[in-house]
Amino acid sequence: MIFEKALVLSNKEIAIGIYEMILAAKKIADNDPFPGQFINISLSDSWLHPLRRPMSIAGFDGSNLRIIYKLFGEGTTILSNKKNGDILDLFGPVGNGFGNPDGRYPILVGGGVGLAPILWLHKLFTQKGIVHHTIIGARSMSEHFLKHAPEDNFLLATDDGSIGEKGTVMPVLRDIWKNFVNPKLYACGPELMLKAVNDFALQKTINCELSVESYMACATGICQGCIVEKSDANISESEHTYHERYSLVCINGPVYNAGEILFK
Amino acid sequence: MKIDLGVKLGNMPFKSPVFVASGTYGYGIETKDLSDVSQLGAIVTKSITRYPREGNPPPRIVETPSGMINSIGLANLGVEKYIENILPQKDKIGAEIITNVAGFSISDYLFVIEKLESIGAPICGYEINISCPNVEAGKMEFAVDDQLTGKLTESLRASTNKLLIIKLSPNVTDVMAIANAAYQGGADAVSAINTVFGMSINIENRKPNINTNIGGLSGPAIKPIGIANVYKISKSVDIPIIGIGGITSARDVVEYMLAGASAIQIGTANYRDVGIAKKILNDLKDYCKVNGIEKIHDITGKVKPNV
Repeated sequence: MIFEKALVLSNKEIAIGIYEMILAAKKIADNDPFPGQFINISLSDSWLHPLRRPMSIAGFDGSNLRIIYKLFGEGTTILSNKKNGDILDLFGPVGNGFGNPDGRYPILVGGGVGLAPILWLHKLFTQKGIVHHTIIGARSMSEHFLKHAPEDNFLLATDDGSIGEKGTVMPVLRDIWKNFVNPKLYACGPELMLKAVNDFALQKTINCELSVESYMACATGICQGCIVEKSDANISESEHTYHERYSLVCINGPVYNAGEILFK
Repeated sequence: MKIDLGVKLGNMPFKSPVFVASGTYGYGIETKDLSDVSQLGAIVTKSITRYPREGNPPPRIVETPSGMINSIGLANLGVEKYIENILPQKDKIGAEIITNVAGFSISDYLFVIEKLESIGAPICGYEINISCPNVEAGKMEFAVDDQLTGKLTESLRASTNKLLIIKLSPNVTDVMAIANAAYQGGADAVSAINTVFGMSINIENRKPNINTNIGGLSGPAIKPIGIANVYKISKSVDIPIIGIGGITSARDVVEYMLAGASAIQIGTANYRDVGIAKKILNDLKDYCKVNGIEKIHDITGKVKPNV
C-alpha cells in the first residue's frame, strides 16, 4: 500500500455526467497496478466528508493514473470540481485485480461507470496482441464516449438503442459467446448487470471474473464495513464463524469468480 | 522546553494521552506496517467476544455529514483465536494494548476476561463495551441501566487486577448515573462516548442505508456530544475519563482534556488517515510549547465554565 499526494493533471467531462481525471502518482504507478485494483481518494482536507472514495483505476501511462467516474453524489461532485494543479491525497493500489490471461478467449463486459477497469483490460489485451471481444453498456448515447466498432470486436449497447445494440449487454453476450471454444468473461458494472453475468456464466459453466463495488470506510481490512456475502457452498454450518459467511471487498476483492458471492 | 505528554489512568502510566479507538485499528496487528504507533498511549482493539462472530449483513456503513453510521455487529474472531493468532504477535505491534470486550450476558464478559487472565495475556487492560443487549435482562443494553452496569463492573473487577475501563453510551437519560455505577463497581476509568444512534434513508428507494436501519453515528458530527458527556461525568464522578468522539486534531484533544478527559481516543479519523494519531501527537507537543504547558495532564478539567 502506497500513500501519495498526487497532482491533478486534468479533470474533464467526457460524456454527460462522466468524468475522466488524470493524476500524477508516480509511486503508486510504479507499484504495478493491474485492472480491477483501485485507489482510495480523500476528497479534501475538510471533515464534512470524512471517508475516502474508492475509485477503480482506468489505466496508467508512465507515472500518470487515470480514473473515470460518474457524478453520483456530493463526493463525486467535489471530485469533479478539482482543477489542474490541485493535490489529492490517495493510497493504492488496493485490491486483488483481475487475473492474468490464461489462454481462454476473453470477453470483457463493462456497464455504466464500471467500464473503467474493463477499458484498461481491453487496452492491455490489445497491447499484448490477445484477441478478445469487449461489450460496453450504457443507458444512452449521451453517457458514451466510445465508438461502436464491431469490426474491432468492440460492441456498445444502450438501453434506448441510441448507439450500438438496443438493450443491455446481456443479449450481445448471449449472441457472441458461442462463437468461442473456451471463453472467459471479465465483468465490471452495476450490481444488476453483474448478477446477470454471474448467473449466465454459472448456467453455461463459463469461467468468469466479476469486479464488485462496495461502500468502504478504510479500504485496508480494518473496519469490516465493505462486506459481500459468500455463496452457500462456502459457508460453514457453525453459527460461530468469522469471515466465512462474509468477504471483505477491499482486501479479498474486489474481483471474485462467478458463483463465489451472492447477488441479491 | 521539554514537554511531558505522559498521563495516568488510575495507577497506570501511559506515554501519551492519544489512544486509538476500538474498531478503528483492528487488533493492532493489521496496522503495524501502515503507521508508527510507538508514541501512542495505547491501541484499543476491536471488541472481542466469547465466540467468533460474522457480524451484520451488508450494508454496514454509510457516510453522513461530518460522520458515518456503522452497524458492523461486533464481527470478530473470538477470544480463542485472539489468543492463538494475535497475542503471540504483540511485540510486533509496538504499542500497549487495551483489549475491548463485548458480551451478551455477564458470563460472556467473564469468560473472555478469565480466559485472557488465565494465560497472562500481554495486554495492559480491558475496555468493556456495555452497549450490547443483555439476553438475561430482556435484551436491555447494559449501558442504559445503572444497576446492570454496576453489577457487570463488580463481576469483572473481581476477576482482574488489570486496568478496567467501562465504555459509556451517550444514548442514555443520565450518563452521570451510569458513570457513577461503573465507579462504585470498581472501574479504574470510563471512556465516553460510544457511537450515537443514527439513521440515514435513501429517498429514491425509501430503504435505510444500513441493514439494521439504525446504526452508530461517529465522526466530527458527534464531537460536541462527546465533550458534553465528558464534562458532565467529570463534574459528578471522581474517575479518570477517556474522551472519544470526532477527534481529528490536537485542538480537539485539548478541548476534550479541558472538559475533563485524562486521555482521548481517535476513531473515525483513522479510516481516512491511519497515521493521524502521530500527527496529532506532534501538533499537541507544538500546542504545549506555544502555550507554555509543561505537563499535558495539567490541563485536564481546566475549562473555565460560565456560572
